[in-house]
Order: sequence, then C-alpha cells, then structure tokens
Amino acid sequence: MGMLPLFLRQRYLSIRNSFTRRSALRRLPFIAIGIGFWLLLYLGSRGTLLFVRTLGPFGDALAERLLAMIFFSLTGFLALSNIITGLSSFYLSREIPFLLSKPLLTRDIIRLKTLETILNSSWMVLSFVPPVFIAYGEVYGATAVYYCSVPAALVLLILLTAGLGISLAHLLARLFPARRSRDFLFGLGLMLFLAAYFVMKSSIPSGSAGPEDIVSSFMRFSTDSPLLPGTWVLLAVLPTLKQKSPDLFYAAVLVSNSLFLLLLSSLIGTGLYMQNIGRLQPAGRAGGQGFLSRLYLQGRYALLYKDLRIFVRDTGQWSQLFIILALVLVYVYNFRTVPLAAFSGAPFLKEILVLVNLALAGLVLSAVSARFVFTSVSLEGQAFWVVRSAPVDLGRFLWSKFFQGCAPVAVLVCLLVFLTNTALAVTGRLMYLSLAIVLLLCVSVSGLGAGLGALFPRFTYENIASVSMGIGGMTFMILAFSLVLLTLSGVSWVFYAITVNGGQMTAAGKIGVAAVTCAVILANAAAFYIPMRRGARALEAMEL
Amino acid sequence: MIVIENISKSYRGIPVVRDLSLTVARGEIFGLVGPNGAGKTTTIRMMTGLARPDSGLIRISGNDIVKEPVQAKSVLGYVPDKPFLYEKLTAREFLIFTASLYGMAKQESAREADHLLMLFGISDAQHDLIEGFSQGMRQRLLFAAALIHHPRALLIDEPFVGLDPFGVRMLKGLIRDLANSGMSVFLATHSLHIAEDLCHKVGFIKKGSLAALRNSAEIHSVEGGLEELFMRISR
Repeated sequence: MGMLPLFLRQRYLSIRNSFTRRSALRRLPFIAIGIGFWLLLYLGSRGTLLFVRTLGPFGDALAERLLAMIFFSLTGFLALSNIITGLSSFYLSREIPFLLSKPLLTRDIIRLKTLETILNSSWMVLSFVPPVFIAYGEVYGATAVYYCSVPAALVLLILLTAGLGISLAHLLARLFPARRSRDFLFGLGLMLFLAAYFVMKSSIPSGSAGPEDIVSSFMRFSTDSPLLPGTWVLLAVLPTLKQKSPDLFYAAVLVSNSLFLLLLSSLIGTGLYMQNIGRLQPAGRAGGQGFLSRLYLQGRYALLYKDLRIFVRDTGQWSQLFIILALVLVYVYNFRTVPLAAFSGAPFLKEILVLVNLALAGLVLSAVSARFVFTSVSLEGQAFWVVRSAPVDLGRFLWSKFFQGCAPVAVLVCLLVFLTNTALAVTGRLMYLSLAIVLLLCVSVSGLGAGLGALFPRFTYENIASVSMGIGGMTFMILAFSLVLLTLSGVSWVFYAITVNGGQMTAAGKIGVAAVTCAVILANAAAFYIPMRRGARALEAMEL
Repeated sequence: MIVIENISKSYRGIPVVRDLSLTVARGEIFGLVGPNGAGKTTTIRMMTGLARPDSGLIRISGNDIVKEPVQAKSVLGYVPDKPFLYEKLTAREFLIFTASLYGMAKQESAREADHLLMLFGISDAQHDLIEGFSQGMRQRLLFAAALIHHPRALLIDEPFVGLDPFGVRMLKGLIRDLANSGMSVFLATHSLHIAEDLCHKVGFIKKGSLAALRNSAEIHSVEGGLEELFMRISR
C-alpha cells in the first residue's frame, strides 16, 4: 500500500477539521435542497415508469431502453469527467509541488491521485442516481439481489471509466498543455450534451402525436452496442430487476475490464507522469498585443479594462459562461416549440406565457448575476490590496463593478426576452412592457449583486465559481429571485386591473394601480440602493 | 514626511499595536525591526489604509490616512510582504494599470513603465504573464509599481524577500537615491544587517510598543551593532 494510508489520514484530518457546528449549520440549506431534489427525482422517475408500464410489453421494452440510455449516458459522463478531473488532480493541483518535493515514489503519488480522481469525478453520480434505481426497483418489485447488484455494477463502471479517463488524461498531458486540454474537454462535453439534447428533441414528436409515436421514436435510439460498458452493466443488472439471478458473464466482463483499465492507467502513469510534469510550463506569454494594448483608460474604466483582459485570458472562468449559454439555447429552443395553436382560445394565454417567460428570464438573470455580478468584487482576489492601497474611491470602484456586470447581463436577458417573446408571437405593448420590466430588474438585481458581493467578499478561492455557491451567493440568489417574483406579481396585477377594467376604472382602482406601481419601483430602487451603499461602506471599513 | 501619533490596534480584544508614535522625516530611511508577531506588518498596514487604527493618527505628507485616504494614498508607495498580483496580467499591463489608478497620463505612464522595467531588470519579461514570475521577479515588479507615480513616501514590508544578490545591491542603492531625492522611506524587516546598513534611524518594536529608537551613529557605536542591540532589547 506504500504511503497511501498516510495521505488518506491527512485527507481525513482535513475533512474532520473542516466540520464544525457552524459549517454544519451553513450546509443545512444545501442538504435540504439535495433531499428535495432526491424526492423530486424519485417521484418523477416512479411516475414515468408507472405510466410506461401501462403500455404493456411495449412499455417494458421502453423502460429497458430508458435504462440502457441511463447507463450509456453515465458511461460517457463518467469517462469525460474522469479525464477532466484527472488532468486537474495529476497536473494542475496546488498540492503537486509539495508532493514532488518529498521523498515519495511516483507510484505512491499515482495511487493517491487515482483515488482522488475516482472520488471527485464520481461523487455526483453516486449522489444523484440512487432515486432512479430505487424507482425502477419499486415499480418492478425487485428483490434484495437487485438492490445489491446495482451499486456493485455502478462501482465497477466507475472504476472502469476512471481507468480509461486517467489513461487518456496522461496521454493528453503528453501531447498538449494540461490546462488547455481540460478547458477544451469541458467545452467538448457541453457541445456533446447540446447536440444530444437537440437530436433527441427533434426526434421526439410533439403536439398531437400519440404515445406509440413517442415510444417508437425512443426505440430508434440505439445505445446498447455489446462493445459499450454501459451495455455490460445493463445486461448484468437487468435480470435482477425481473427477480432472476444476475448475468455472471457480463459481471465478469465488467470486473476484468475495470481491473485491466485501472492497471493500464497505472502503467501509463508510471511511464509518463514524471516526463509530463517536467514539461509543464508555469505560464506563457500573453496573447495579441494589438489594438487593445494601445488603449489607456483611467479610473473606473481602468478597472473594467483590467477585468476584461483577465477574463479573456483566464479560460477557467469561461466554463460557467458556456453552461449558461447552453441553458439559454435550450430555453429559447423550448419556447420556439411551444404548441400555441393547441391552446388557442384560452383567455389571457399570451399574457400568461409572457409572465412565465419573464419569471424564467428572472431566474436566468439571478443565476447569471450570481456568477458574474456578485463575484465581481471577490474577483480581485488577494490582489485587492492593489486597489485598496491606491487613491481609488471605493464607492466609485463598486459602481464600476456594477456597470461592468449590469451592461452584459442586461443585453443577454433583454435579448433572451425579445427572442422568446418573438417566438411566442408577442408584439406591441406587451413586448415593450416586458422589455421595460426586465431592464428594470437587470439594474436592480445587478445593484443587489454588486452590493452584496461587497458585503460578503471572498478573496481566497481556488475557483471563482465557488464564490457564487457560498452562503453569500445563495442569499443573493434567493433575494434576487424574490425581487423578480415581487415585481412580476405587482406588474401583472396592474396589467390585469387595467386590461379588465379598460377605461372604466374607479378612483379607488386608480389609486391601487398607482400605489402598486410605486411599490414595485420603490422595492427595486431599495434593492439597488441599500446594498450598493452598505457595500461601499463595508469595503471602506474592510481590513486586509 | 510620515507622522504616527499614539496609534493602537487590537484584534478580538488582543492588543497588537499599543500607543505607537514615530516620525519619518523627508529624505530619511526609517527601519522598524522586531521579533515575529511584534506588530510590524499591522503598523505598516495601518499606514497604507489597509487596516484602521483603533485610536491615534497617521499623516502621510500632511494627509490623514483615515480621514483623507485618497489624498494620502496618492503620495504613498507600498510594497507588501506577500506578492499577490493579478496573475493574468503581464508585467507591463500591471504597471500601466497601477499608473492609471493614480490618474497618470498615457504617455507619462508608458514612459515610466519602460524606465522602471529597465531599472528593475524585467523588461525582457514585460509581456509575460505574472503567473509565471519567480518570487524575486514579483518583488521587482512590486517595487516598480510602488514607484511608478513618484510617491513622496515609500512603505516597504520585508523589502528583500526573494531577491538575488544583484537585486539586493541594486535596491539598496535605489532606496538611498530615493531618500537623497527627498522621499521618506519606512521599512519593516527582519534583515538586521540590511537595516543597519541602510537606515538613518531604527525603531525596535516589542509586543506592539516602541521599545527603543536609535539613530545610525548610536547603532554603530555598540559592539555587535544592530544585532546585539536587537538581542538586548528583544530579550
């Protein structure tokens, strides 16, 4: 076992020391969200499977095909995740210089990093797939054998994909810079997800199609090639779902391939790791020194210019931008396929759809602002002393963070609302009104984000994305979305009151409309002004 | 000129700096020495405005760092002990950015950046990202950034960390030149031989209080110099 137990003890101590009563309390909301997600996933899977089973033998075939697709997707996800995590753990981790400076065998480092990669790349799968398999077991009345064989098969799949992913990570690090490879693979993964989504979405009929059309469109997806590990897991586990013994042949195929690929990753690692580490370059020269380098901006614009340059160069910051763009694409695409004709004649249909659209756009606004506006002060990192010790008014500094966050967020969200409204054939007054509301929300939510970001800054982080996932980021998300809902409730009440009453509104009605309009504007102004003011004061009082 | 009058600072009720007073005249190099945890870095942080004194007054060229922070900081240069910088900027971009924070004109900032990059021997690496810089190169860049706006007072926390012998010699000569040109230089350090060599006046800080103040002649009159004095006072 070599030095592995020693490292495991160090990891254990780190985890133990980070668990305090306070940290446990801070994690409670996330645990509650996780349990809620588990329940929803379980209920959703169970409901789907119960419906599918009503379709008779055709339904059973469909359920099997769904299970095959789950294992196929898991294999792809785990393999890609292992390559990306492997590149990070083996080559980009801050711990590497420390480990390399100690009298350790390469073999020990490889073992430690292999274990780390396996755990880091698979915990999400281990956390989120159980409800689906429990639902399958319950709907099919499976015995204990099923509940034992599924985790065993999943562990083997995880080991197999880890062996494959880590081997590829070493080979990639041999050929390309590790950081570039990781970022490229992340982008590739996202593209594959989008491609799979659009292919599936375009293949499944919508509108007036019957269940048999949907089932046959699903059956066209072939994900059960005998050469794929996902198929081995399916064929090993499927008999146990029907109260039979597990297929030992495929279980053996899984075991042998897992062990072989893990051994292969260890051999490749032993051969290439030290060579790859030796080729790692700490940094390169900056890219083009063209037009941008000749710009000279002062004061708040200097900060904007600096942040832009850092963003363009720090490819690690792009990942969430890609995720958001992918979600926006899916969002716009879904609105394009809403079967409007099927609901024609329903009262206020268009207005309700616009309201739903605005609520969803508000959710996107909250999420994007959490990542790009709330984190803008923290983005200064440990170099914040540069700004803090310079003759810079911190109120103006915060305003610059607000502007540089608000402008792109407003363009993105207004464009999103415009495109989705156009897809819903919304024009005229309703279009202008929804754009005005969303613009108001962009300003107030950006002010809220910049202000709370200054009140809850975190200048020490491994990845800036983690700042938006902290307690401050979650508080911001909840407050921002509450503001969105409050604003939309007020505006829709005013819209409804005016539309229903037309020109016949009573004096009390007019007063009500004016009061609610003022309340909405005041709530947005307060959401902008109070955090901005308090944030600027907090920055001035902050001690570094 | 730097004036510190009766400053005190506590963290969670534990006093770190107690009733500290000192003055650094124009053209003077002042060294603050003391054992680990004596309060040197906290003092320098209060002087730069990164921390706020619980009581007392700090004036940089007549400007109160608490009440007039922008004016005080505009005549101050600061070199911290930990070289945290914007890793994804190049050395030249960092200098230009710093100059723009001080409101310098484009041509002037470019001229000064060129001059300082050359002076500190990092002009060959001016288009390299800072993330690839060694500690010594970072220290050189920090000095260049602290001097780009021609400050009247320079605060340095551990000035020679990571520098090679060429860098140390160059920097010692530069600090003397800056002081000769009228700049007030305040440095906090553990390097007693350098403090002895450079400083016109040395303050000994112990448990947050100024335990002794000696000028260069007084230090040199003691057998064993600053090291012997340090041992006696810190004991």
